[in-house]
Amino acid sequence: MSEILKVEGLSAGYGPLRVLHDLDLVINAGERVGIVGLNGHGKTTLFYAIAGLTGWQRGSIELAGKQIGRTRSQGPGRYTHQIVRQGLAIMPQGDEIFNGLTVEEHLDSGAFTPEAWRTRKERKERVLDIFQPLRKLMKTPVGRLSGGERRMVSIGRGLMTDARLYLADEPSLGLAPKIGSAVMDALLQIDLKGSAMFIAEQNVALLEGRVDRIIGMHAGKLKGEASAASRLGER
Amino acid sequence: MTTQKSDYTWINPLAAWGTATGNQSAPSVEVPDIRENWDKATGYKVPTYKVGRLKHYIIWPNHGEKLWTRWRWWPTRRNMLHVTGIYNRKTAIAEKKILDRRPVYWLLCMAFLAIAPLLFPSNMQNTLLTAGTIFGIFAAINVCWTLIIGTASIFSLASYAVVGTAGFLTSWLSITYGVPWYVLPVIGSVVGLVFGLAIALPALRLDGFYYALLTLGLNELCRVFFTTSREFGSASGGLYGADSFISEAWDPMVQSHVGYYTSLLLLLAALSLFRLINGKRLGRILRMAPEKREAFAAACGVDYKRARIVIFLITSVALGFIGGFYAAQYRGVAFSIFSFDTVLLGLAMLAIGGIGKAEGAVLGTLVVVFLDKVLLDWGPMRHFMIGALMLAAVLFLNNGYFGIKRQFNAWREKKRGEWRSARTEKGGEALPEEATEIDDKDQLYFRRFDKIQRDYLKTLITPEIIEEHRRQPLGQHSEALERVLLYFRRTKMEDKYALHRAGPEGPYKIIAFSGQRGVSPRLVDDREYATVDEGYHAVFMRRVHDLMES
Amino acid sequence: MDIFFVLTNAITVACIYGLIAIAVSITWSSLGLINLAYGFVFTFAGYGAWLVAQHINDHPALIAAAGIAMGAAAGVLVCLVVFIPLHDKPNFTTRGMIATLAISLIGSQSFLMFFGPRPKSLPELFGFWTLDLFGVRLTSDKIGIVVCSALMLFLVVRWMRGSRRGLEIRAMMMNPHAASIVGIGIRSTGIYVMAVTGAMGGLASVLLSQTYYIAPFNGLTPLIKGVSIALCGGLGSVQGAVIAAILLGLVEALTNEFLGGQYVLMTQFLFIIAVLVVRPRGISGLLDKAREQ
Repeated sequence: MSEILKVEGLSAGYGPLRVLHDLDLVINAGERVGIVGLNGHGKTTLFYAIAGLTGWQRGSIELAGKQIGRTRSQGPGRYTHQIVRQGLAIMPQGDEIFNGLTVEEHLDSGAFTPEAWRTRKERKERVLDIFQPLRKLMKTPVGRLSGGERRMVSIGRGLMTDARLYLADEPSLGLAPKIGSAVMDALLQIDLKGSAMFIAEQNVALLEGRVDRIIGMHAGKLKGEASAASRLGER
Repeated sequence: MTTQKSDYTWINPLAAWGTATGNQSAPSVEVPDIRENWDKATGYKVPTYKVGRLKHYIIWPNHGEKLWTRWRWWPTRRNMLHVTGIYNRKTAIAEKKILDRRPVYWLLCMAFLAIAPLLFPSNMQNTLLTAGTIFGIFAAINVCWTLIIGTASIFSLASYAVVGTAGFLTSWLSITYGVPWYVLPVIGSVVGLVFGLAIALPALRLDGFYYALLTLGLNELCRVFFTTSREFGSASGGLYGADSFISEAWDPMVQSHVGYYTSLLLLLAALSLFRLINGKRLGRILRMAPEKREAFAAACGVDYKRARIVIFLITSVALGFIGGFYAAQYRGVAFSIFSFDTVLLGLAMLAIGGIGKAEGAVLGTLVVVFLDKVLLDWGPMRHFMIGALMLAAVLFLNNGYFGIKRQFNAWREKKRGEWRSARTEKGGEALPEEATEIDDKDQLYFRRFDKIQRDYLKTLITPEIIEEHRRQPLGQHSEALERVLLYFRRTKMEDKYALHRAGPEGPYKIIAFSGQRGVSPRLVDDREYATVDEGYHAVFMRRVHDLMES
Repeated sequence: MDIFFVLTNAITVACIYGLIAIAVSITWSSLGLINLAYGFVFTFAGYGAWLVAQHINDHPALIAAAGIAMGAAAGVLVCLVVFIPLHDKPNFTTRGMIATLAISLIGSQSFLMFFGPRPKSLPELFGFWTLDLFGVRLTSDKIGIVVCSALMLFLVVRWMRGSRRGLEIRAMMMNPHAASIVGIGIRSTGIYVMAVTGAMGGLASVLLSQTYYIAPFNGLTPLIKGVSIALCGGLGSVQGAVIAAILLGLVEALTNEFLGGQYVLMTQFLFIIAVLVVRPRGISGLLDKAREQ
């Protein structure tokens, strides 16, 4: 079983505020892992730390065997694009989208590897099969879409490349319950094919029983099955 | 010295008299020697550095009777210096600190400028006096300009255009109609006002950088207009022949000295204008409405637009005055005042010193004028140097030379916060850097001791003692359990747990005290316990949980 | 003077300044940098093309290529010196602008030191021939300038619309933070943007030196004209810049015809101020505050 994400001793924060306290975490290939916790307990910061977007961080983060975390205190986001290019697909919380681009261009912008760019037509088809409602909206600027449609675009963009690790940050946040669970269904349908998915969610009910394991997050520390090994041991 | 316990089973010393509950003995854990633990725990594992606060202030002696004496601007009650007089808390001796030393520095610098001509080397006297005159005038212009860019946040690049236009018009009037020198600055002010009104109109509508580029173009427009028009002497490189307060009959040295001191007076006037605007109502209004937060300020009732335009107009009048003064000083103006390079040099002066500060404008002017006018034999290298200085200032400094202190402090604060938060061991122990900021040092000792004790007690929490407590919550216990219970009993009133009997015979619920008089305890959870012993044990478990979490 | 002659003149000049305007406009909207170092880029490219013409070969295509390449190199240089160190610092817009001004100051002084104040001229690129179009005589250089700049503009717009890089640039215009999440490197994209806009400046330089000379301080006028056109058209909008270039060219032609050459700048500025007072973000500037969060 190969490890897609291996986090050891990760601490991160913003200035004098320390959000994550010495986290250890392993996610294996083919796994779908949920992380549950209240607002402000560090779920988003954990995702940001993996993407190199926090104020400072230290500790080791390995993405498919490559070190992407480092002791770092320069400006956030300096290495994010390089980390992303190593096979990370981030579906961020809220509306991190490009208002002026159309849905089609927006999906294209997710295909950043040359190989994905060449096969972007097929990939778009695949995304549209998952998110049917987007098919009619391909030429509409993203700024005019509703919240649910935007979230679909944002997730669809993450699916345009062959990422090793998908990070979905609160995919149901701010959506009507029905749409939220539809978005979640779509996320859970995706064929992982040897990659892994990491979903942050406040609502445990949406994840319960549908992901491989659930990790709790409380005050910057992980609770529960932080690595698959411990789960196997319990069985 | 270690006491080795051979037996892990605790024998109840009261068992000889027979126990009602039948706990003659209980399996327990070995209690490590506390003294050993203390020695281990007081050894500091976190890397420490020598820390402390720099002594920022010179401490002057004071007298108990004079704690509240101040120098004041007669006849107002305004202080000349921001001074604080206190008794030192450690030595109980009266002392005095000057909290804001800038007035002292300004006074020293001005005094130095006033006596500087006496100190100039004789072979450089003429060059330095000329440079000093130019410095005074340009510093005055830059102080006004920094008022526009910094205080009013209008990124106008047309300040030199205002000065130049006023200069040219007044020179032309003086040459054509023989207007005497003392009227020139007044006419210049009027010209400045008109010019200011004309360019203030677009400032109301345009965004910052649209306006900057527009004024840059305006400057170019003025240059082309004045250099091509016949009335303003397109052939001679400038317009000369205006009336001046410096008589040509005087000795050249006297002329230079008069020029130097008058331009210094002009600088003083510009500085007082800066103080009057920036330090008073208008400046304060605008400090409430910094860039990007204008909407909020407007919602608070700050009419920032009006304040900006008023400052812009006042400053334009001042710039026009300087233009008229310039014409009266040099008997005319050269076209170079409109050139792009002049704007660039001016911007370099502001960027080097720091935008928005009078001292920045003056220092930047001093540096650039020195490079440009004194080191004449460096050739084109001079402007290259100025450009390099400007580039370096902009690349490395957030706000010029006078912003270094704040930038450094912000950087140090950030780094300190990062280090500190990365090194804090959870559990409330204070780090050395933090310790210097906590007033009550008892707190530090208490926190440290508490952490040591908690770490020690954590090692004692085992299934054995939990089982022991479950069997008999009250009464005699083994040493390990007794130690833990003693610690629990000693905790603070806030969030201390208690049992609440819901009915006459139970069930019991756990509540937590608020720790504040008059605020009733809160219910911790809905769980109910049938007997009081079960309740005791549940409270114990909750405490154990809290201890292990901390 | 024939009105058509004036008009064609105005259009050719507008083409050249339009190139710089579009360069300024693209840089502002994608990087948030007001690049006032295009004067430096312009002169740098001019001297580069002149060196190539002097020392290697004076084949027109080679000179044009050298100008474009040197322009791109100068753009990358500005990017490395200004954009990359500054882009995540506080007050980036103001400091970036002052830094580019510093570069133009340093640049013009260095040119003065290396090449001396004497102006240099490039050989004719388009030969000497004329074309009669509907009774209007068009000289070779005019046609060449219009064709070249239109071609460059077409290529750049095509590239911006169609390619992966263009998509990255446009994505970065809208939301730099989201762009980094999608895997778009702000700094590498910055280099692409500055290289392309620099190349446009370089071409403008080569084209303009058909009529003017190359001298250390000659970058200023094209810069001011380009910036004014970009302002008038609205920063961040290519079609706005094209419209503004044509309108300002017309104003120039009409002023030349009816008032006289010395009033050209004045009427142009009055026109720009009028446009900006009516539409504070130019003819078709970015109306949403995409770039200014």
